[in-house]
Amino acid sequence: MVEAFTSFRRSGLMSMITVGIITISLTIFGFFLLLVLNTGNIIGEISAKMDVSVYIQKNLSDSEIAAFRSQLVSLPGVEKVTFVPKNEAWRDFKEKFAARFSLDDVVEDNPLPNTFSLEIRSTDLVEKTARMAKQVDGVDDVRYSGSYLENTKILVDAMRIGGFIFVLLLTFATLLIVVNTIRLTVLARETEISIMRLVGATNSFIRGPFIIEGILIGVLGGAFAILILKFSYDAIAARILSALPFLPVVVDKKQLSTIYIMVSALGMFLGMLGGYISVSKLLKEK
Amino acid sequence: MIELRNISKNYPNGVGALYDINLHIGKEEFVFIVGPSGAGKTTLMKLLYRDEVPTTGSVIVDKINIAGLEQQQVPYLRRNIGVVFQDYKLLPRKTVYENVAFALQVTGCPRSQIRRKTMQALELVSMLRSAKQFPAQLSGGEKQRACIARALVNNPPILLADEPTGNLDPATSWEILQLLDKINKRNTTLLVATHNKSIVDGMKKRVIAMESGRIIRDQQLGVYSGNL
Ligand SMILES: Nc1ncnc2c1ncn2[C@@H]1O[C@H](COP(=O)(O)OP(=O)(O)O)[C@@H](O)[C@H]1O
Ligand SMILES: [Mg+2]
Repeated sequence: MVEAFTSFRRSGLMSMITVGIITISLTIFGFFLLLVLNTGNIIGEISAKMDVSVYIQKNLSDSEIAAFRSQLVSLPGVEKVTFVPKNEAWRDFKEKFAARFSLDDVVEDNPLPNTFSLEIRSTDLVEKTARMAKQVDGVDDVRYSGSYLENTKILVDAMRIGGFIFVLLLTFATLLIVVNTIRLTVLARETEISIMRLVGATNSFIRGPFIIEGILIGVLGGAFAILILKFSYDAIAARILSALPFLPVVVDKKQLSTIYIMVSALGMFLGMLGGYISVSKLLKEK
Repeated sequence: MIELRNISKNYPNGVGALYDINLHIGKEEFVFIVGPSGAGKTTLMKLLYRDEVPTTGSVIVDKINIAGLEQQQVPYLRRNIGVVFQDYKLLPRKTVYENVAFALQVTGCPRSQIRRKTMQALELVSMLRSAKQFPAQLSGGEKQRACIARALVNNPPILLADEPTGNLDPATSWEILQLLDKINKRNTTLLVATHNKSIVDGMKKRVIAMESGRIIRDQQLGVYSGNL
């Protein structure tokens, strides 16, 4: 243990380079994890929005609302009907954009319609339901998210599988890099290892300090990578949120820390494995 | 103590290094192995600490045939055989004391014994004064003494020295041989491979002469060249 720390200190520059390379690889790895997480989230959000919006301009009394609701519920494929009064929609809209400019100066009246939001059981029915809703008396307009909806399920699956394969490949690439960089520090100590063997050190004894050093390097690299990821992600997320507020960027602390924990665990694991593989290669040569 | 039976050794690249070697070395003997460069002296030594395995024959050290030793057992064999080299093989970034103590640390020797044993070994080779110096600050003779201290710190019953005076001037070489003689008299079996004629002739020990991988002469109280 002491030996590992001492050697870490003595071969300072080499270890620093190794930590740097691992930091970079883990940062890239973490960056792609975050990307996959966000893309999944956006697609999830889109596919959750398989709904039809029914707009009605004129003001509605409570009984009229109830009448519309029962008519809409009876349409094929409708699972749920939510009513969003125009005042509420306007207030939400203003809140969302208040940070950027004050709408009250530009628009005096509420330009938004009353909206019934229909959740549709299946994508196949969206078009048909929308057509029928348009025929209901008093309905001004009907909108739905269009034909790309049909492809979302395929897209979601493709993203999941693609992302998984990509992360797997990236893990493997990171392992290769880590093994090879730690191998440099091991090679730098080849004489030391050969003398250890000469005076009768067992293989496990020789491996010990290198594995500890590997873990140390991996943990350090992981820590740096997390710092870089956290600060840059927070900055980028804040930017995106203020520019495109409707984009569902993941800011959930729990989900993010899961990723950070994965990155540091991977760093530690790769460091350990890297240390082990590098020494074993050297031990096997004789 | 050491017995070689029907040894031959071919390196993987096809070079034959040893042929038909039969040899017995008793407990606490002092033996010179002499011969021109390429005769097979180093290869013979390597067989004894299991750095190489023979192509045929058996290498018996302390009643065990180490040619068939399991890989996991090799470290324990090495703790019973000290090895000294022409190029010392000291770690440049460790002091003399640390270099010697290193041999104990890596065998898992209890901390409490490391200091005492290291000091004893350094005292034996008269290197206590230089304990805190780094190899680069030492003369050739001092480096060889440090190397010998490291080889002896585990109290091995056998000490192998491969060209221990190869890089030393005659006076220093003679001092090193006196030291090795002293170690031999403290109950250590000693094998010295060398092609230093004057030393061999001066010491009057058993001499095994090799040429082209064969033993051509084995003589008690011998000299370097055979035409006596
Ligand atoms: N690792 C090796 N691989 C192949 N050939 C070797 C190796 N080591 C030594 N030899 C060959 O074996 C022969 C004996 O070498 P060596 O034992 O070093 O002799 P000496 O120590 O007497 O000079 C030489 O021909 C040498 O070239
Ligand atoms: Mg030689």
